[in-house]
Parts: sequence; C-alpha cells; structure tokens
Amino acid sequence: MSDLSLALAQTRFALRGYLRNPSALGFTALFPILLLLLFNAIFHGVTVFNGTSVRAPAYYTASIISYEIMLVSFSSLLVRVTTNRERGLLKRFRGTPMPSWVYLFSEIGRTLVVVAATVAVLVAVGAIFYHVTLSAHLVAGLVTYVVAGVFCFSALALALTRLCQTADAASAIGPLAATILAFLSGVFIPVAVMPAWMLDLGRVFPLEHLARGLQSAFLVPGSTGITGVDLAGMLAWGVAGLIAAVRLFRWEPLGTGAPRAQR
Amino acid sequence: MDCVVSVEGLRKSYGERERLHGISFEVHAGEILGFLGTNGAGKTTTIEVLEGYRPYNGGTVSVLGVDPARATRSWRNRIGLVLQECELDPVYTVRETVSIFARYFRHPTNVEATIEAVGLSAKIHDRVGQLSGGQKRRLDVAVGLVGDPEILFLDEPTTGLDPLARREMWTMIEGLRAAGKTIFLTTHYMDEAQHLADRIIILRAGQIAAAGTADELSATLGYRATVSLDAGPGLDVDQVGTALGRALGASGSAVHFTSQDVQADLTTLLDWARDHDVQLTNLQVVQPSLDEVFVRLAGDAAGEPEEAGR
Repeated sequence: MSDLSLALAQTRFALRGYLRNPSALGFTALFPILLLLLFNAIFHGVTVFNGTSVRAPAYYTASIISYEIMLVSFSSLLVRVTTNRERGLLKRFRGTPMPSWVYLFSEIGRTLVVVAATVAVLVAVGAIFYHVTLSAHLVAGLVTYVVAGVFCFSALALALTRLCQTADAASAIGPLAATILAFLSGVFIPVAVMPAWMLDLGRVFPLEHLARGLQSAFLVPGSTGITGVDLAGMLAWGVAGLIAAVRLFRWEPLGTGAPRAQR
Repeated sequence: MDCVVSVEGLRKSYGERERLHGISFEVHAGEILGFLGTNGAGKTTTIEVLEGYRPYNGGTVSVLGVDPARATRSWRNRIGLVLQECELDPVYTVRETVSIFARYFRHPTNVEATIEAVGLSAKIHDRVGQLSGGQKRRLDVAVGLVGDPEILFLDEPTTGLDPLARREMWTMIEGLRAAGKTIFLTTHYMDEAQHLADRIIILRAGQIAAAGTADELSATLGYRATVSLDAGPGLDVDQVGTALGRALGASGSAVHFTSQDVQADLTTLLDWARDHDVQLTNLQVVQPSLDEVFVRLAGDAAGEPEEAGR
C-alpha cells in the first residue's frame, strides 16, 4: 500500500472518529448554525459595509462562516491533537512505521472536509432563509478563503499545542481565542458600530482578514472578495505558524495532566 | 540471529543526573526477559532507549542488529511496542483499532487472529471506551503484535490491573511464549517476572543488581536462610559457633544464624548435637521468598525517583 493511500485511509479513520464524537460534532457543526440563527433573530434589517447599506443576515452568514473556519481548523484541531498527544497516541504512532506526515495529513485533511461540509450547510441556510444568492464570484471567494483559512489556522493550532500541557488547557484556549478574535474582527458585531481602535487591533490577526474577505464576497456584488491584503494577512500567520509548529511540535505527552507517574 | 537485543555499557543522563550507569545485557531469540525494578530504577528509560524513543549518552545498543538511536522505517516494521501509558481512542471498535494499526506495517498479521490471541474475540465489535482496564491493556498488546514483530516490548503490562485482569494478562503472555515470541518485559512485581520470564534482570538505581533465571537468583542472591533453635540445656553456643565457623546471634531464649548452604550447616549442627548428646529443640529454617530478596535488593534505591525524561 502506498503512503498516499495510507494517508487517505488515516483521514477516513479520523473522520469516522469525528462523526462518533458528539461534543466535537455539536461544537463544530450545530453550534455555528445556532449562532447564525440567533444573530439573525436579534439583528435583522440592515447594516453598513464599505459605505453601503447591506442586509444584516447576509453579513452574518459571511461572518459566522469565518468563525466556523476558525473553530474547526483552530479550536477543534488544537483540542484533538493535544488530547491525542496526552493520551500517548502520538507517541505510539511514532513507534510504528507510519511516516509522521501521514498523521498530520490526516488531521488537516479531516479538518478540510469538516470545514467544507459545515460551510456548505451554513451557505445553504443563508440561501434558504436569508436571501443569499450564490454566484461564481462568491464560490471562488469561498473556496479561496476556506483553503487559506484552514491552512493558516491549522498551522497555528499545531504550533500552539506546545503551549497546551493538557487537553483541558486546549479546550479552554481554543474557543477563548476564537471568541475574542471574533469580537475584535467584526464577526459578532457589525464593523459599522465598532470602535475604530478595536478594528485596528483586530487587523493584526488573521480572523479579521478572513471575515473581511468573506464579507466582501457575500456583500459586494460581482466581487470575489479576494484581496492581496487579506490573503497576505492570513498567509503570513500561516507561514509563521508552520515554522513554529515544525520547531515546537511534540509527539510525546507533555505531562502534567496525564497519569504519568512511575517509571 | 540468536541475540535479538545486545546492550553494552549503556549510559543515559537527564541533564546533570545520570540515570543508567553503564548496564549490559542481552535478549535471546524466543525468550521472555523480565526487567525488574522499583519505580525510578531506570526500567522505562532502558526500554525507551531500546524502542528508539531516547538518545543515550554512552555504550552500544543493538536491537535486531540496528542502533535504535538511528531507527529507520524498516526497523520499525520489525518491532512491536506496548507503552506504559497509552489510551487508545475510545470511539473506535476493537476491530477498527487493530485494523488501522495493521495498515502501518508491511507484513501485518491477520487482524481477527491477533484479537483472538489476546482473548478479545467476544469484544471485537465493542467500542474501546466500553472495555475494562484489563481488556484495554490486552487490546494495546494486540496493537503491538499486529505488525508481526520479531521482538515485543511490554512496559509494565499489568500495572494498575486488578488481580483477575492480571492473571488474564499472564495467561495471554504465556500464549505468546508458547508461540515463540521474543519479549522484553518490564515489571515491578517479582512474582510476575518469576511466573513469566525465562531470565530476570534486577535493576537498581540505574545498575544491574542481579541477573539470571529465577532459580539462579534464588541460589546465588543472598538466598540466606535463617536457622534458629532454642538455647536449651547442653547447647554450647561457642562450640556450635566454632563448628559452623561463624558466631551465633541470640534473641530471647533462642539463638540463630544465617546460612547460605542450609544442608551443610544443618549437617554440622546435627552432627555436633549427636556427638555431644544434646537434644535440639524448636529447630527452624526460615527461607526468604524471592519477593523478599527483591525488596531487600531493590530497597536501597528508595528515595531516588526518576524524572519523567524527555
């Protein structure tokens, strides 16, 4: 069996595990849909984006999709990889002939599939309930930002596993980081009503670029939303994350939470 | 190849502290080697060097003719591991777990047969999360066996198991022995090593304190019996001591001496009693169990916990 088919088998295996994990499913699939419904129940009507008046539901569809991309590729991946490391599973994998890249491929492949599926559901909800119209421009923007977002946030998650000594720590850091960045990036609150300094601060981080890009794709007619600034803002973080991950990633339990005990 | 593992003068330090002070041993094809020691003796450090997880500071190490510090993929195809702490993902079934690991190896064994070998056939479709502690541990062994390894490393396979689960694990390992598997087994239970291992190495504070079969350890290792008897009338303690070549100790109305060769010493004692027409009373020979030997031997290492090495 070639390594590529092994990598695909490992990815299917990881996906099967994801589908059997109710808390992961609820957190990454149900929760964003609920958020979208809730935000649109609270803020219906219009808001201002790029100086023009736009429908709030379309704004939130784009925003929640950006949030979802970060939840799956950053928060959920961080928790999953940290958990597997602290269980001693990564160490066990390293003791088999399976190449290391196969495991990382499977986790990122799983992430990409879950993001694609949940984003499709969110777009469908937007199209059915919130007058979002699909166009070639929108699809091009979505695909570009999904790929860039998964790359950027997965790399950051793998780097940050080093800071998470336990799965509990990962479960706290992952969602917390996503939620705070969501507030700073005009995801939960429309940019039109946010203080300028907060938007400036948000611009430092990748979620702002992902959210802004997707909002442009959804709200600006005839635009893919793809801009050099937004792509560069994400890719820079992604590359930095990748370099850090290569240096920092550990396959053995870091320890404090695991029942490590005697040797 | 008869010698599966060959270790010569192995040294390993964590920072400033040396944990293994130059140990040497071999594991032969088809045998179970019991690596026995208290917590902190260096068992896991040693096994992790052999498994290729840890670099080492001195000596030579060869596992299947390869230095584990330069582990290659083809070498990993030939070894099987059961780590001391590994929690397999609870959402998969027994069969799925063994099957995915089977895919990592070039020449895996039959998945059902491997599950059968560890006695989990009845649980093959159960989720890992539903298994008992002992069953999870045996599944872990199945995962270690599925690559059809030439040597299996078992790091404390029964630690934390209840007595029944421990017995089941023993039965399973006996089955592996019958199948001719070469196994490196660490444990901190003397009875486990005695029961399962062909040869035993006792590690103490990073050094080999004793090595041999269980019988050899019993014979050589200060297997000193204590002989005691009442200091009755006519018993001349000095004369007896002279005859035995060592002084007798006294406690209360009894006297005692330790003996490495009980048969010879008793003959001397009984001959003396017959020649002097003395009736010996309450003559007793107390022999320490191998467990006591181990505790006495390993006990000196207490208070030197080993750090979780990285």
